Amino acid sequence: MSRRLFPCGRTRREFVWEMGGGVAGLALSALLAEDGFFARHAKAAGSPDPLAPKPSHFAAKAKSVIFLTMNGGPSQVDTFDPKPALQKHAGQPLPADKKFINSGGRKVGFLTPAARPFRPGGKSGLPVSDFFPEVRKHADKLAVVRSCHTDSHAHGSALVMLNTGKTFIGRPSLGSWAVYGLGSENRNLPGYVVILDKRGGPISGQPNWASGFMSAAYSGTLFRPVGDPILDLRGPAHLTPDAQRAQLDLLAELNQQHLDARPGGQELAARINSYELAFRMQAATPEAVDLSKETKSTLDEYGVGKAPTDEFGRNCLVARRLVERGVRFVQLYSGGGHLEETWDAHESVEKNHGRHAAEVDKPIAALLADLDRRGLLDSTLVVWGGEFGRMPFSEGKGEPGRNHNPYGFTVWLAGAGVKGGTAYGATDELGFEAVEDRVHMHDLHATVLHLLGLDHEKLTYFHQGRNERLTDVYGHVVTDIIA
Amino acid sequence: MALPRLALIALLLAPATTLAGPDFEAEVAPVLLRRCLECHSGADPSGKLDLSTAAGLAKGGRSGPAAESIVEKVTAGEMPPKKGGKPQPLPKAEVESLRAWVAAGTPWPKGRTLDRDERTTDARGGRDWWAFQPVRRPAVSPGHANPIDAFVRARLTEKGWAPAPPADPRALLRRLTFDLTGLPPTAEELDAFAADPSPAAYEKAVDKLLSSPHHGERWARHWLDVARYAETCGYERDQTKPHAWKYRDWVVAAFNADKPFARFVREQLAGDELPDRSEETVTATGFLRVGTWNDEPNDPDEYTYERLEDLVGATTTAFLAVTVKCARCHDHKFDPVPQRDYYRLAAAFWSGPVKPGPRELLGGPTKEQLGYDLLGWTDTSATPPPLRLLKKGDPARPGEPVPFGLLSLAPSLDMPVVPPKAGAKTTGRRLALADWIADPKNPLAARVWVNRLWQHHFGAGLVRSPDNFGFTGEKPTHPELLDWLAAEFVANGGRSKPLHRLMVLSEAYKQASVHPKQAEYAAVDAGNRLWWRAERRRLDAESLRDALLAASGRLDLPKVGGPSFVPDISPEALEGWSRKGAEWTPSPADEQRRRTLYAFVKRGLLPPTLTVFDAPDTTLPCAKRDVTTVAPQALALLNNPFVHQQSEALAARAGAGDDPVRRAWRSALGRDPRPAERAAADRHLADQTKRLGSADKALASLCHVLLNTNEFVYLD
Repeated sequence: MSRRLFPCGRTRREFVWEMGGGVAGLALSALLAEDGFFARHAKAAGSPDPLAPKPSHFAAKAKSVIFLTMNGGPSQVDTFDPKPALQKHAGQPLPADKKFINSGGRKVGFLTPAARPFRPGGKSGLPVSDFFPEVRKHADKLAVVRSCHTDSHAHGSALVMLNTGKTFIGRPSLGSWAVYGLGSENRNLPGYVVILDKRGGPISGQPNWASGFMSAAYSGTLFRPVGDPILDLRGPAHLTPDAQRAQLDLLAELNQQHLDARPGGQELAARINSYELAFRMQAATPEAVDLSKETKSTLDEYGVGKAPTDEFGRNCLVARRLVERGVRFVQLYSGGGHLEETWDAHESVEKNHGRHAAEVDKPIAALLADLDRRGLLDSTLVVWGGEFGRMPFSEGKGEPGRNHNPYGFTVWLAGAGVKGGTAYGATDELGFEAVEDRVHMHDLHATVLHLLGLDHEKLTYFHQGRNERLTDVYGHVVTDIIA
Repeated sequence: MALPRLALIALLLAPATTLAGPDFEAEVAPVLLRRCLECHSGADPSGKLDLSTAAGLAKGGRSGPAAESIVEKVTAGEMPPKKGGKPQPLPKAEVESLRAWVAAGTPWPKGRTLDRDERTTDARGGRDWWAFQPVRRPAVSPGHANPIDAFVRARLTEKGWAPAPPADPRALLRRLTFDLTGLPPTAEELDAFAADPSPAAYEKAVDKLLSSPHHGERWARHWLDVARYAETCGYERDQTKPHAWKYRDWVVAAFNADKPFARFVREQLAGDELPDRSEETVTATGFLRVGTWNDEPNDPDEYTYERLEDLVGATTTAFLAVTVKCARCHDHKFDPVPQRDYYRLAAAFWSGPVKPGPRELLGGPTKEQLGYDLLGWTDTSATPPPLRLLKKGDPARPGEPVPFGLLSLAPSLDMPVVPPKAGAKTTGRRLALADWIADPKNPLAARVWVNRLWQHHFGAGLVRSPDNFGFTGEKPTHPELLDWLAAEFVANGGRSKPLHRLMVLSEAYKQASVHPKQAEYAAVDAGNRLWWRAERRRLDAESLRDALLAASGRLDLPKVGGPSFVPDISPEALEGWSRKGAEWTPSPADEQRRRTLYAFVKRGLLPPTLTVFDAPDTTLPCAKRDVTTVAPQALALLNNPFVHQQSEALAARAGAGDDPVRRAWRSALGRDPRPAERAAADRHLADQTKRLGSADKALASLCHVLLNTNEFVYLD
């Protein structure tokens, strides 16, 4: 009990960073060691490399994670959590004993049934609504957690909660913890990639994928699925690859002379090599998003090139390619900016979810099928969910939108180590709040880390006198959804 | 006959101290303090057993009388409990002490209360922890012109080591100029110093740089990191906080004027409460306003306490380097900071606008309350309701009211808290807190401050955890030097410039970054904890951008202060912004030439060109930036349009006279090219002219390479 409440244990000291080389956080030294670079240039003293692959705490089920983030808060009672009682009580108010914060002070209407009917999917018969007819075909792959709850009714803080485990900005995100714990398998690509919706970033912006108090080496890298995926990948047009190569050669020559006069300059050596890595990244990252080698049937399956699935389909396909190439954590956002541009269905669930689900349903189904076919689903965890759910009641008579609901909502998981065809936990009969086997965001985080082979209580980062954890002093692994 | 019998009974009932047994203070108390009191003391002792007093011991716990079972549980390995699944058996000697003590009837000195915080054990720091002891000015051993060298050399000599030779004059002046102003020296300044590297010439350079207005700009940046400075609220709306830049300018001016430390503290924490309050002192209270602010917290009541934590955290981290905020939910696990102390300190801010107010006030007081149209802080009442301690930090579980007070970790510094005078508008608590922090006898503040000065001159602090002087932090590499500097700082009235001067004039500072016995020494002391050489440092994000502008000749230096410029951010980077469609209007090109210090800091949209070089994220105080070396930094310097603009401007500058290669080298690196470099440059120019079809473009290509070199990016 006291241990859970007071985690200020001390297992790791900040000075670990300087033990090797006197310079904090040399991201490249392991790579350099691989290349025999230090052997040639400087004495290798085992300087720490924040992104070097690290062993997991125990055997991992998942090597990679694809987090499909439904920005804005999709409605559970309209998608994966069927509530027949809403039909029965339609038009009545929510019972008075159910207390809630009316986010944004919006109109409080009446209990409203699902906008689209549910049907059983797969052999398991797991019910999925007609917003997701394609995903439904993969019902046997899904573990649907219907009892999620979170700490905020406001997008800004709930998104940060979903991503970092706290409603306040400034903490490392789930992806940061994953690459901090396990490092990165492909040194020519970032370990933690975030692809946003073209309509804009999530509310609260950067803190959603930042590394907080950890080294910036662990923060998410924004990736664009078309053209140049990352910032500053290409210089001015007149600098041809030849010309740039000539620059790099001159740079290497000047830097080498500089290094020769400074024996033991590991940080200098590391920086020299960072240019070679950057040069390789210039080729490797466009290659990762280059879909020209994908077959037509794959492109069609993901819905690439066709409205309304083109964007998310492309993103899902890129996610598969990144995972194939060893990227640890990929986060795709559906919905960007504010209100109806996201899953924030205040006006009409049918209209809003109809639009957004049509964009993502086919691509997500294709991703699950494609990963499965390629044998990648066994080592890739797919997580689907938003920052909260939506209320079982409408925003007024004849106004079929729903307000934010942090008390009960659905997240599903699929792939590596996940028990498919499962529904876990339950909301009350109206779908208002999680009542059975409640799963807090901390529990979701603990479970994701667990599937990556990481113990959320042991994965700590020493900061300002405290061993910080993604799950703070909370979190239980939801073992019942693990195969 | 009755009398002797009574005497006999009295003897039997007398405090057991009269019986033979182990020495309580020497043998028993240390074991109890170290092994038992972590759980068996306080308001809610484990198993209801309180071992801090004789009465608690006599009363026993949930499982009955204690004395008999202590030895039993200890020998059975039940106590202390397992840690992380591992048994924690006591050393034999300790078990024997307990056994003897119990056998003697658990004698306990009269009135003695054991206090978990009274002394340091192997598991936690007590009030006897080094950082909480009064600063004593150690004697300086003779033989060195600069006392710093006396202390540094003593440790090296102990080891039989010698310091590195003096740095090359050019390397030294470059180091000095960046350290004191964040800017590179010009080639002419370097030439002059290389021609006359006399101590007098060096001192002259030091004094000139210390009196430059750019000195304040540089050192303000270090403090703004600690003050978690940004100009917006963060979160969904990420509103701009009007006038935040005035706080930044206040910090710049404070460093330029070398404002005495006591004043520096008092204005930032209580500028509104000072008898001579003015627009300037109220501007300084921006320190309490520049943190994040959420206008739509999930639970407004809980958020009130989050704001208190931000204020307590920022204040105690910045000025005291103690992690007081760890005690919000429970007594500090490692330092003598009881939970009550957290609330005593939090009460200083309790009467301010911590509770949710109208959104347009952005978490601050009204103009009327503040007296100025500024981003500042003041109490909204002189008689606030009591602040209650929250059990487990939970607002739903309020406990006893806690009056304002100071930290109990330095009992020598306890001060009476004076209630506000009749008719006062504020509680006076923040001023009392500031006075306590700035008191010459405060053991932490001066040490923490001089450690920061040392850190930014030498590349690491004497205490290498500059934000944590407690048990989980690092101990000073040179405790006596730290104390001598702290004492010196106090003695000179809390002025920093004399200390800057002393530090940069030391031999320790002036040595080279490479040692003739580099490999041998590095194998033993890779972290350079003995300061056997100067630390080589990468330019931080701001210095790097400023240096690029300086090399291209486009840096707009004269304009010190004023509203921030809105930096250019590439359209690609804007995609990460939720208000993508909204306008991000960068300031005109001319404004972009200002020092990076003046770039508008928006929490939701930090410029990637700065964050990639480890600029802090602004949510929490940052006392020590990471220094990473990652490929995206290379990509930024290779490809970012800003860098190409500077390369082209540098090429234009170099090409405007004879010998462009030499001119390029001098502008970028402050020196002439060596023959081998010149040959390589000539080849590059010839080849690139062919490839790019233009001599101008070839020269820009060469300049671009120079701006990417390690020599440009690192300080020796």
